[in-house]
Amino acid sequence: MSEHPFAAGIPAATRLPSERWRIERGIFAVLSVLTLAVVAAGPLVLDTYSVSVLIRSFLYGVIAVTVDILWGYTGILSFGQSVFFGIGAYALGLASTHLDFTSPIALGAFVAGPVVAAAAALLVAWLGFGPRVSPLYISVITLVQAVIFVQLIYTGGDYTGSSSGLSGFDTFDVGMESWFRIAGAGLVIITALAWVFMRSDVGRLLIAIRENEQRCSYCGIGTARVKTLLLVSSAIVTAFAGFAYAAFNDVVAPDLGNFQFGTELLIWVALGGRGTLIGPVIAAVLIDFVSAYLSGSLPFVWQLFIGLLFIVVIVLMPQGLGPALTNGMLRRRAKAVMVAPRLTLLPDPVVGDAARGPVIEITDLSKRYGSLTVLTGVTFGASPGELVSLVGPNGAGKTTLIRCISDGLERTSGTVKIGGKSIGRMSPEGCVRLGLGRKFQAPNVFDALSVADSLRIARAQQEPLSAWRSSDEVRLPAAAMRVVVATGLDQQLGTTVRHLSHGSKQALELAMVLAMEPRVLLLDEPTAGLTKAERAAIGAILVDLVRDHGLCILLIEHDLDFVRDISSRIIVLHQGGIVIDGNVTEVTTSELVRSIYSGEPGAVTP
Amino acid sequence: MTSLFLDIVTTAAILYVVATGLLIVFGVLKIINFAHGSFLTIGGYAALVVTQLGLSPWAGPPLALLAGFVLGAVVEMLIVRPLYNRPLDAILATWGLSIVVVQLITIGFGRGTNFVVSPVKGAVVVLGTEYSLYRLLMIVVALVLGGVLVTIMQGTRLGLVARAVIMNEALAQSLGINSARVRFITFSIGSGLAALAGALITPLLSVDPLMGVPWLLNAFMLVLVSGTSLLSLLLACVVLGGAQVVVSTYGNPVFGALTIVVLAAILLRIRPAGFARV
Repeated sequence: MSEHPFAAGIPAATRLPSERWRIERGIFAVLSVLTLAVVAAGPLVLDTYSVSVLIRSFLYGVIAVTVDILWGYTGILSFGQSVFFGIGAYALGLASTHLDFTSPIALGAFVAGPVVAAAAALLVAWLGFGPRVSPLYISVITLVQAVIFVQLIYTGGDYTGSSSGLSGFDTFDVGMESWFRIAGAGLVIITALAWVFMRSDVGRLLIAIRENEQRCSYCGIGTARVKTLLLVSSAIVTAFAGFAYAAFNDVVAPDLGNFQFGTELLIWVALGGRGTLIGPVIAAVLIDFVSAYLSGSLPFVWQLFIGLLFIVVIVLMPQGLGPALTNGMLRRRAKAVMVAPRLTLLPDPVVGDAARGPVIEITDLSKRYGSLTVLTGVTFGASPGELVSLVGPNGAGKTTLIRCISDGLERTSGTVKIGGKSIGRMSPEGCVRLGLGRKFQAPNVFDALSVADSLRIARAQQEPLSAWRSSDEVRLPAAAMRVVVATGLDQQLGTTVRHLSHGSKQALELAMVLAMEPRVLLLDEPTAGLTKAERAAIGAILVDLVRDHGLCILLIEHDLDFVRDISSRIIVLHQGGIVIDGNVTEVTTSELVRSIYSGEPGAVTP
Repeated sequence: MTSLFLDIVTTAAILYVVATGLLIVFGVLKIINFAHGSFLTIGGYAALVVTQLGLSPWAGPPLALLAGFVLGAVVEMLIVRPLYNRPLDAILATWGLSIVVVQLITIGFGRGTNFVVSPVKGAVVVLGTEYSLYRLLMIVVALVLGGVLVTIMQGTRLGLVARAVIMNEALAQSLGINSARVRFITFSIGSGLAALAGALITPLLSVDPLMGVPWLLNAFMLVLVSGTSLLSLLLACVVLGGAQVVVSTYGNPVFGALTIVVLAAILLRIRPAGFARV
């Protein structure tokens, strides 16, 4: 592999995802069936008190699964998952207290709780996942949600039972042993479904959102929609658990939906191991079960212990107790076999008439920050088969221009058209869907995913991800395939991106952008930090992409020699405006350009 | 009307005293200290101990300040420092700490509600309305506290260094500023101020192990809408605290308790910078 200027890929024994899936599924199915058998037999061996406590613990385990998917996998830190549990519980409590407990009423409450929870989740998601909202805001809004829930229950007075809640209402005539089996089976099934889901291609996407939401948007993925769907589904599942809680315990209280309980859920997930599913479930069930036993004898000491343990785990083993313990035990196990799908080349798309005329048109674009004008009156267009370099000294507005082209909210005025369609105020994912691809200056990739998964996520617009299986194939268009093969990434498909060299990460990001089959490619210093050999390789690829695949490339570059070698046209930006737009000879022989680069800022006014 | 005005001003003053410690920690360390409420509780219990020992009630606040400062220093070294690059984990770990504090206090003092002797009693007539002298005193305290902090930030070397760290920590470090020490001192001061606030508000309220939680939530929201500016915080306290007083007086006290949190959440959605740089 030494002919690759990038990394010498060491081809390891690789296994297809479906082969690993078959093995894992077997183990997991056996475990699930065993657990179900244990749950079924539980009431026969456990005393009544343990059975009644475990029913609650199992339901808490269900919420822990939802919190782990939201927080552990997707990175949505919610302090208010408890609220959905409270809503589900109060749906039954209120219905049964104020109405006759008949089958239609019970069914109504069974449906109403999750519906209200879903509506609440939708509102929270709308507030928390909006454009330009800080990532901390969802945590703030879920915290507020929990405070509001409790205050609403207080305001309800006798109707909601205020601070003491409701109890002694009519509920289902189901024995404790059956409840135990229902809750236990529910927990096993939810965990199994979540397990399958998280191992699917969509599961990888959730990790990608946690790792780098910006890159996801620039792969054309509506991350806000994905997160909203996730939050709403988790709210529905949690509300069902809350309904079961109220039905079995015959009591509901504001504590079920408060911020302290919401935080306790986070503690369980963190202790059990974020992003492991099984860890949080075990932690939730175990801690709640032991809490119930110790609440009589040493309640405060136990809480103190959990608090201390939580601090120690967060500080010293952020991955959680579960992974810390199992890794310790399994340390001597041989290194796992690399799992990677195979690459398939897509047939070349038919280039039709669309290839004629400018594919990107920028008219009178300007960008101001308050009184500071960064760009003004920028107008140009570019056609397929053109490689246009944007050059200019630092602060000329090059990167700002790229930002204004790829995010509709950025520019102050002017229009940007991609493939003849105006981007308006579109989000980055909207611009990407019009045919834009953007590669950032510093490698902007998914550190925790494998090379193959990253490429597949970049293709998510063209080939929807599966929510229940891990595909055996990554299909790439010729341009992306070229980059992958030329840089040796094809030998590293199963490698976690974190372990790639800087050059390979740059190449991977370029391949991901090309995998989206853009018509316009925006490249911000694609050769920054690369060696001379890597730089030449990238340059050759770019020239080929333009010539063979009819791509239109806008390139920002400081290295004028590199620009001269590969460009078909050069645009010089200075002090926020275009000073020259011409072919390579025109620009490189220009006195104007020389004076700009020799540092005479007064010499030119655009 | 006068009484409503005084309520608004004194409420804003109390909120300011409670939230400043959290604000300076957020400004310099860029982490939210969820143990802020428990430092406040510790301050409340410091005042309670002073009362139980029969000491002068004036000894409460200084003792609380000292206790908060020392405990804050220990917490910074053990918990906050290792989490400096993981701000969300720092929120969780400091919340874990607050659970520990609540349990320790419960074990030491019981779950019950206690009362503290106020250093000043009675009421004075202001603009024709009789008003609690202690609440009026809180205005003075808030002004003095704000004045001292502004003087430190603008007039001392520590303040200069802290401002440098707030603006650009990497640059400050490369200029030879020991930002770890700045963080350490700031966290200790912030914790001390939280405890001080706890001791100062207890004569108005009762003392119990969970007294810090509602204050934490309000202070958290106020800091989020204020960014890192002491002046924005003052504005936020007056506007949101004022709204709280108005809602509690003319509307429903339960909704009054929600006012700050809800208004701040809405404000942050519309304008992520909140009151900062208005």
